[in-house]
Amino acid sequence: MHDAGAGRMARRKVATQKPVEYADVEPSAFASMLGGLIEANVESRPEKRKDFDSLAARVGIFVTDIDEGVTLDFQRGHLVVHNGLEPKRDLTIRAEAGTVMNLSNLRIGLFGMPVYYDEVGRGVAAKLVGGKLRIDGLLGNLATLNTVTRIFSVAG
Amino acid sequence: MAVKAFSDEWATQFKDEVNRSSVYKSAAKGWKWTVGLVVEAEPDKNFPDAKGVVMDLFDGSARDIKVGPAAEAQKCDFVITAPYSRWKQVATKELDATKGMLQGKLKLKGDLPTIVRYTKASQEMTECTTRVPVEWPDEK
Repeated sequence: MHDAGAGRMARRKVATQKPVEYADVEPSAFASMLGGLIEANVESRPEKRKDFDSLAARVGIFVTDIDEGVTLDFQRGHLVVHNGLEPKRDLTIRAEAGTVMNLSNLRIGLFGMPVYYDEVGRGVAAKLVGGKLRIDGLLGNLATLNTVTRIFSVAG
Repeated sequence: MAVKAFSDEWATQFKDEVNRSSVYKSAAKGWKWTVGLVVEAEPDKNFPDAKGVVMDLFDGSARDIKVGPAAEAQKCDFVITAPYSRWKQVATKELDATKGMLQGKLKLKGDLPTIVRYTKASQEMTECTTRVPVEWPDEK
């Protein structure tokens, strides 16, 4: 016989925290765009979620031709986006707006490595060689850069 | 000959420019969404009413580009909104559209990964607007 009082279902706590949050009350357009891009990527692509869940690093991105930057504070499955460059960054990428957008268009190839031999990749590599793309903190953080690139990438 | 900004004649010439562009044709391969441009009113610039540009773009070509009410453009899959003078800056190459979006001068609504994947196509589309000779209402 059914006992109405005994049938209470166990309530499981469901995680409701969004993967991306903004540190500032009014995130800049650039912060919203990067945060939105990462959130959409992570929520729609399981392979990116895996990278996102494993990454703990502070990455700065500064767009030289608009003089604006953001700090992406990856906290293993959670990202806080700050307007401007915050201290204690592991990596800082400095480039013009077009190059920053092209970084998102890098294809990911074998072993999860960004592809630098196609048209977009060659363009990015040329900017790096020509000094138009600077990556501070690269030494010792190459794996972090590759993980961030994979999370960002919208190609393929 | 120059055409009035955001008029039907402008839309026709813009569409022709897009369809003439081999760069756009290859960069926009696979694109299958509509794009709306909302041009907000600026009465002090002799642009008293908001207008909408509805672009039916498919796989590297412009099937149709129409000018109408802003509300029509707002129904598109991707919507870019800015006041009249900002669009004028884009069309006269004073403002780069990518930079404008990152600075919030042009407001974008729609799936970000998709639009970022087609950055080159959107840059070429901006180039196409700059090739249409325009008569601007605030320069009369």
